[in-house]
Amino acid sequence: MFWGKSRNIIAALEVGSTKVAVAVGEIRPDGTLALLGIGEGPSGQVRKCEIVDFEVAQGCVREALAAAELKTDVVIAEVYLAISGAHLRSSNTRVTTAVQNDGDEITQDDVQEVHDMAAAQPLPVDHAIVHHLLQYYLLDDGSKTDNPIGLASKKLTAHFHQVYGLATRLQTTIRCVKELSIEVKNYALSSYASAQAVLTRHQKQAGAVVINLGGGVSDYIAYQHGAVVHTGVLGVGGDHLTNDIVSGLKIPYAKAELLKKTEGSVILDPNDGDTTITLPGAYNFEERNIYRTSLNTIMQARQAEIFEIILDDLQSAQFWPDFAGTIYLTGGASQVKGLVELGSQVFPCPVELAHQSPFDGDQNYGRRPDLSTLLGLLQYARQAELEVPASRGLARVGQSLKKALASMRVI
Amino acid sequence: MIEFTADGPFSGSKADPLFPDRVRIIGLGHAGASVCDQLVLHGRPGQDIWVFDTDQQTIEASVVPNRHLLGQNTLHGLGCSGDLDLAREIVRQESGRLAETMRGCDFVILVVALGSSTGMALAEHLTQTGRRSGAKVIAIGVQPFSFEGWARRERSIAAIATLRAECDSVLVLSHDRLEANPSLPRNVRHSFHIMHQLVAQAVQALAQVVCKRGLIQLSFADVRSLYGRYQGTEALENCWVAHVDGDIHDTVEELIEKLFNGPLVADEAVWKLIDHAIVAVSGTRDLGLSDVQEMVSAFQQRLQTDIAIATSASLDDEQHDRVRMTVLLAMTAPIPSSINGKPNVEPAKTQPVPRLIGDTVPLPSLAAKKAKAPVAAKSVTPKAAKAAPQKPAPVKARPAPEIVPTIAIVEETIDEEPVAFPDLGPVADEEPMEDSAPRYIEAKQEEMQFEATRGRFEKTHETIYRGENLDQPTFRRRRLAIQL
Repeated sequence: MFWGKSRNIIAALEVGSTKVAVAVGEIRPDGTLALLGIGEGPSGQVRKCEIVDFEVAQGCVREALAAAELKTDVVIAEVYLAISGAHLRSSNTRVTTAVQNDGDEITQDDVQEVHDMAAAQPLPVDHAIVHHLLQYYLLDDGSKTDNPIGLASKKLTAHFHQVYGLATRLQTTIRCVKELSIEVKNYALSSYASAQAVLTRHQKQAGAVVINLGGGVSDYIAYQHGAVVHTGVLGVGGDHLTNDIVSGLKIPYAKAELLKKTEGSVILDPNDGDTTITLPGAYNFEERNIYRTSLNTIMQARQAEIFEIILDDLQSAQFWPDFAGTIYLTGGASQVKGLVELGSQVFPCPVELAHQSPFDGDQNYGRRPDLSTLLGLLQYARQAELEVPASRGLARVGQSLKKALASMRVI
Repeated sequence: MIEFTADGPFSGSKADPLFPDRVRIIGLGHAGASVCDQLVLHGRPGQDIWVFDTDQQTIEASVVPNRHLLGQNTLHGLGCSGDLDLAREIVRQESGRLAETMRGCDFVILVVALGSSTGMALAEHLTQTGRRSGAKVIAIGVQPFSFEGWARRERSIAAIATLRAECDSVLVLSHDRLEANPSLPRNVRHSFHIMHQLVAQAVQALAQVVCKRGLIQLSFADVRSLYGRYQGTEALENCWVAHVDGDIHDTVEELIEKLFNGPLVADEAVWKLIDHAIVAVSGTRDLGLSDVQEMVSAFQQRLQTDIAIATSASLDDEQHDRVRMTVLLAMTAPIPSSINGKPNVEPAKTQPVPRLIGDTVPLPSLAAKKAKAPVAAKSVTPKAAKAAPQKPAPVKARPAPEIVPTIAIVEETIDEEPVAFPDLGPVADEEPMEDSAPRYIEAKQEEMQFEATRGRFEKTHETIYRGENLDQPTFRRRRLAIQL
């Protein structure tokens, strides 16, 4: 049948403060993932990962989707969406259920029950759940396990890390995509997605914090013993560095952005002294000399503040006293010079730039830290697709028809 | 036999209670109860004072007639032990009883320790209830000592943000001011007692201002214009209180000297933060307008900075031969708190402030008189004009200050002899200013005021962290020098 040979295509979409990007991948029959290509474009009217102007942002998403379809020659009908924003909150929670089976044997039903209970945990008013990530199961005897099925215990306790955010703001981003006749199949926290791209299983087990320094926000996630123990989103990112430069040096935004990327550093060098950087003139901009010390002072103050706030939040978390891992920096704003040195000065643990795990397919994007969220989201999508049993029969026909209609932008 | 009783602005508290169901003072938690105790013991009689707490010992020890123990069934009178969530739950359970508290009053003054549990939970609830019932809500709170710990300080900052978002006016005092005053005894209990007394005097002055009774009236608008400006934690401490309770035979200088030696204002750094003041004077019928003017003028001459002053005066027959002067000092210019959350105790440049406050108007005759002849040290009453030792003023008296005390003139007719301004004479160390001489204003280079712009993030939700707006450039908030 024609649908029997269809490719298992997955797409990931990130509506960021700097750019909108769509990654398209294919899950091969052996379960591995191949990247087919990435379509991207600048984002407009998105600040701190929140949409300021709906129509402009939707236009940017449309262009990025079109670019991805053109590059990969596939029709995108559904996407996995990266979610971020300063409204997101997180907490650790636990739920317990009594095991009432013969011999106190834990079954799939018991596991499902604790998951259902976690999903039904009360949230603050107007908030909606983004994730409830399992940390571990706890049995009567105090032992921890990742898979309790078949074990005996009178009660089963599950520890979760739940992430939630303001429902209206989550809905705005989702609606922005759905109105383009693209189904949002699922969504994931940006930092969680980034971690999938840059952390190995061993690193998660040993303990790791991934700080994804984006344009509008800096989100971070902490792993310990293989489980997510803390997440956070700070509504300050690389755009703030640029904005500070604009404000401090009185230069246009585009020039400040270029200056930040090419000349700026977040480490103050005493040898800089009175050295200057020449900004070339343009038809409406007179050539100017900028003191390097001034530029670096502005950038250092902002970046150090970001790190200090994140450290402050991490130190308030329960896991921190036992944390013995490494902090990995990723995201577009992690390309600033001197970032690791500054991080090492602020954080009392090793700090490194993150490297993405190797993947098959188009290799043009492997060294770009600003795509770590997108590529991680693709990994997340692959995992989710593999966990869901493949639909059969009429359901599959329905899915194929849906894709066909979506390709014509009918629904 | 017909009994004559005084009425009008000269009536005592017996004939006309000072705050008849208009101004209600509510002490919340242990600190609030202590302040209200001071009001009952040393304040004016006839005030409408209520106290709420979850601790039975506090309630039983209070001398306030209207005292209420909350959450007895749940907590058994043991208090909330700093658990704010528990306190909120108790308040929710007792919301029926608390609803009665706000009925029939126009102004509510809440007294609370910032960072407490029961007090803050009650303050949150009563503020909302009060506003729903149409009352104006003024909160006066005290920040904990720094040494009480970071967590408590964080809670107090959150409490300030909550109160400022909900209340019409919020007066925030800081316990650390007492710690900074070396002349105070190093006794914790005594320190708390002093602070409770000062807060009680501030509450008394506030009640006097908002009830609009007396010789010289101010109004709630004056209070709100000073203490209702901040909407968040852009500045924490914004109120300082100085009080003097003297005999009418004391000289004005002695009274002002006592005032300036007050525990909260002895630190000179305080005076650099202040830009407004409300002076509340009360005394017996013998208190004349000229006395009030002298006291305010003497106060103004001792100031190191130009600040706008508004004056309120009232009569109280219960004060036998006593005169009370309470000064509520305010900071209204935005001063961001530091990143590590320390109190804003550092002197900072203040923005130019409007000279008039609220609905007050300047008194031209006073201004003209002052320009002609600055006030010398005078006694409150003529009979006390006997030799008072002239103490050297620490600050040189300024020539003909451009700012005059702004005094609201009462509409009621005063049934006494018309008040004559005494001929005060020139001050010895000042040269009289010639009218024909041109006046030059010395140009002064100053640092530009921090412009609170967020640039690219103007349309977005603000990112606030510990009272700082992170959308504003870090180098500006930290005042780093940038060479252009």
